[in-house]
Amino acid sequence: MPIDAGTVEKIAALARLELDPAERERLVRELQAILSYVEQLQAVDVTGIEPTSQVTEGDPPPLRADVAGPCDVRDEVLAQAPDRDGDYFRVPKVV
Amino acid sequence: MMRPPDSTRTGAGSRWTLSTASEIADAVREGKASAEEVTRAFLAHADRTSDRLGTWLHRMPEEALRAARAVDLKRTGGARLGALAGVPIAIKDNIAIRGIPTTCGSKILEGYRPPYDAHVIERLREADAIVVGKTNCDEFAMGSSTENSAYHPTRNPWDPSRVPGGSSGGSAAAVAAREAPLALGSDTGGSVRQPAAFCGVYGLKPTYGAVSRYGLVAFASSLDQIGPFARTARDTALAYNAIAGPDARDMTSRAEAKPVDLAALDRGLQGLTFGVPRELLEGDGLAPEIRSCFDATAEAFRAHGARLVDVSLPNAKYSIATYYLIAPAEASSNLARYDGVRFGLRAPAKDLREMYEKTRRQGFGREVRRRILLGTYALSAGYYDAYYLRAQKVRTLIRADFMKALGAADALLLPVTPTTAFGIGEKVEDPLAMYLNDIFSIPASLAGVPALSFPAGFGPTGLPIGLQLVGRPFAEETLLRAARAHEGWNDASKKAPPIATEAAA
Amino acid sequence: MSAAKPGAAAAPALDEAVQARYEAVIGLEVHAQLKTQSKIFCPCSTRFGAPPNTQVCPVCLGLPGVLPVLNKRAVEFAVMTGLAVGASIRERSVFARKNYFYPDLPKGYQISQYDRPLCEGGEVEILVEGKPRRIGLVRIHLEEDAGKSLHPEGKEGVTTTRVDLNRACVPLIEIVSQPDLRSGAEAVHYLTKLRQILVYLDVCDGNMEEGSLRCDANVSVRKRGDRELGTKTEIKNVNSFRFVEKAIQFEIHRQIGLVESGGRVSQETLLWDSARNVAEPMRSKEEAHDYRYFPEPDLLPLDLGRPWIESLRAALPELPDALRGRLVREHSIPEYDAEVLTETRALASYYEEVAARSDQPKLASNWIMTEVNAVRNKTGQPIEEFPIRADRLGAMIRMIAGGAISGKIAKQLFELMLADPAAPDELVRRHGLAPIEDGEALRALAREVVAANPGPAAEFRAGKEKTFAFLVGQAMKQSRGRAHPEKLQDALRSVLVEDR
Ligand SMILES: [Mg+2]
Ligand SMILES: [Zn+2]
Repeated sequence: MPIDAGTVEKIAALARLELDPAERERLVRELQAILSYVEQLQAVDVTGIEPTSQVTEGDPPPLRADVAGPCDVRDEVLAQAPDRDGDYFRVPKVV
Repeated sequence: MMRPPDSTRTGAGSRWTLSTASEIADAVREGKASAEEVTRAFLAHADRTSDRLGTWLHRMPEEALRAARAVDLKRTGGARLGALAGVPIAIKDNIAIRGIPTTCGSKILEGYRPPYDAHVIERLREADAIVVGKTNCDEFAMGSSTENSAYHPTRNPWDPSRVPGGSSGGSAAAVAAREAPLALGSDTGGSVRQPAAFCGVYGLKPTYGAVSRYGLVAFASSLDQIGPFARTARDTALAYNAIAGPDARDMTSRAEAKPVDLAALDRGLQGLTFGVPRELLEGDGLAPEIRSCFDATAEAFRAHGARLVDVSLPNAKYSIATYYLIAPAEASSNLARYDGVRFGLRAPAKDLREMYEKTRRQGFGREVRRRILLGTYALSAGYYDAYYLRAQKVRTLIRADFMKALGAADALLLPVTPTTAFGIGEKVEDPLAMYLNDIFSIPASLAGVPALSFPAGFGPTGLPIGLQLVGRPFAEETLLRAARAHEGWNDASKKAPPIATEAAA
Repeated sequence: MSAAKPGAAAAPALDEAVQARYEAVIGLEVHAQLKTQSKIFCPCSTRFGAPPNTQVCPVCLGLPGVLPVLNKRAVEFAVMTGLAVGASIRERSVFARKNYFYPDLPKGYQISQYDRPLCEGGEVEILVEGKPRRIGLVRIHLEEDAGKSLHPEGKEGVTTTRVDLNRACVPLIEIVSQPDLRSGAEAVHYLTKLRQILVYLDVCDGNMEEGSLRCDANVSVRKRGDRELGTKTEIKNVNSFRFVEKAIQFEIHRQIGLVESGGRVSQETLLWDSARNVAEPMRSKEEAHDYRYFPEPDLLPLDLGRPWIESLRAALPELPDALRGRLVREHSIPEYDAEVLTETRALASYYEEVAARSDQPKLASNWIMTEVNAVRNKTGQPIEEFPIRADRLGAMIRMIAGGAISGKIAKQLFELMLADPAAPDELVRRHGLAPIEDGEALRALAREVVAANPGPAAEFRAGKEKTFAFLVGQAMKQSRGRAHPEKLQDALRSVLVEDR
């Protein structure tokens, strides 16, 4: 599937990545090269094959019992927040 | 170069820096050495070498010495010391240590200090290991050369004009240069095994689920595993034992991960069958020196009592395509949390949208941005079935190939890399060419099976060559046992790069 | 109606005949917060109202390197809800990541469920004008909540948003109904019933003010008889029972008005503004939503296994419908009474105890539905805190039935009992509320009344039967209602005759 500048623009917006025109052009080329390469997967017969999203075997650890534990990282985290307002994180207003 | 064991001269450091982790742990446990003197030796050696290599992103001399003294105090207090008593260990910078910068080689995490320890860090401390610093890596573990670090490249200790491999290049270089006897890295598509091969050390990617990922900054969650670097098979086993096993904080960790029986490592190759995936070897691009090293090693395995059989991994050729859809897709989601809201970099902006876009544009490097976009594309509406879902199905086929092959053989023997370490700057402009180098390491990652890179020889210019053993789930012991046997007749792992044995000035 | 402002298109007043030509199609998406002690993927407390960012840890802050660990109780609560509404429970459900950026979504994705939710199907029965209607459910899935963004509303010059992540990672179930509802009133019935079930199960506190229950409504209209659905809009933020009906009716009218005037409904998301009673389009998104769902690799598929599901089924408490049926059966009270009395499980238990103690099921029901509920409506007290416990009310009703007090006296006694925890017979004694039945005492009372009302007494004696009622009333008043009505009449008649 060919990828064009508009598509790159769209996915960059979805991924919240600023793009300048030069980078957009470069990315069209690079992503096109990678996507042409992965095109080979279209040739694989996957009829009736279940997708693998995890590869663990055996039993997982038990689910967590519903017991509240200590939450004491606020100060350590807020101290290194890029911006804060008292005990809140602060961000530019959502437009 | 080895100094007498009772040396008390200032240069005594090199005695310890050339020792294995097992030797150090034994000496410290028995009181023949203090953890502090061992730690000082490694710190002093790294003081001399690390600037030239660019091994570290953050060194922890004070914390290390404090920890070492605590271990010594524990021993003099009569307590039994752990399996890694007084053994310095280097930690890849994508593993969280409370209060210590953890950047993942990225500008977006510059200055960030986690408020918690990774599971492996807790385990290492329980084993009385000494964490000496955070090593350089490709940004968010995305890369095969450590050139994608936002801070500086790392150089190969065997040839500073070449890359150490990646993404765990700093950890591999640290062990090769004897700046630490052990290191931890993370392996998503080969990021432990490939730098281990380039740097002439052991690198183990455990079975998926064998080591808790709690505290490992996620790149591709279904592929990431923490693994150790060491200079002997036994040290690799020691480090693996220290970190493996289930963890209630990682639902993908598994109790099936049992410690390796160290005594079993000496059983030799008798009775073991190794599978050779022929069609993978026949692909073009495999350098002749690797091919001949592989053939010689296979022959030596047979000569030492192993049986060799050909196995087929018919879908392994699709591994790179599969991996470069699955890993970026997961990464695009895993890296969404770097948004400038709670920690790390935030770019000044007039509104929220701009804050996100500028922060992420400025904070992430080129390769990371490229993979985020690729992954976002693979998951987006209209493309999901053709890309991500299809890749997951092919992954099923690849995994089935491995299970079948590993039914016929105890382990597979194959190369780690098509070439020895390449030059710094040689491949940075062609991402696809860089990806294609991962053809031997990625398949085992997709299958979730354990894989060990072991030093097997040297190329004509003296660069290390590593080969790979791939085993059944949770059969790390078999891989280490084979590598231990190989050590018996092959001295590739015993050679050190010149920088490692430089005497103190 | 004044000209509508742009965006704030007020719903036009619609001709009833016009309205009647249309049918509204409504589906609700309800998010219910599960009543667990700790969050769904980390051990932080879920307590409401804690100071900002005090119930946070590396996991719910989405710090680099952390992993979610599923809370077993949250799973059980979700399964119980599914079982309670007759949904089919998936033995293997899958968590998925829903990817989008928002400052109160720490990881940049919400862990939710997508194509393999925990529960599918099921239904909720509601009573609409006394007739049962079954509202189908599409699904119930588990997910985590986001934190809270505090926007500077109306504050001039404030250009920042504050973020509190206490609520991030709190367990939710999302309950999606079929588009089976036809009016705002039905939506309220449905929501009320759903809330009742959740509260009966004790899996959600049902508190809409604190956000424990949140509702989004999908609304479309079509001409009656049309098979095809109209374009739907989604109204968000209808977070109180009061607003649900208003918001939905508003939107139905708006859409009908639009179609009637030749316009077309555009698919959009509206935000209900409860201060102004209008639904306004949310500021248009710069891009269409593309959540890029994919299976959460950090959590394996959730395998429940039949035995676990069955043990949860076996432990289900009696649910409102069953309890209602049982009350009708066992106590022979009307369906309507049972409906009122099963509002909460506690109220039903209260009723059952009153009925048992008094041995007067219908009288017990009457007293609770009228007197008890009247007081509670005024004070807002839950039945658990009502000052007259079931044993005392039961004893009082027994006294009425046994004739120890009259119904009228009982009302006075009830007032006293509200303020005084003493037993009802004790209060009757203390306040002299026992009925006057003694013939001599009643005759004395009659004499007093006759003496005080010579005119009417004379009229009665002259054959004007009507004045007798007046004299009875006066006597009853004099006795403060305590006089035994029949015996009083006898006494009065005999006094009037005797003293002629
Ligand atoms: Mg939801
Ligand atoms: Zn938490």
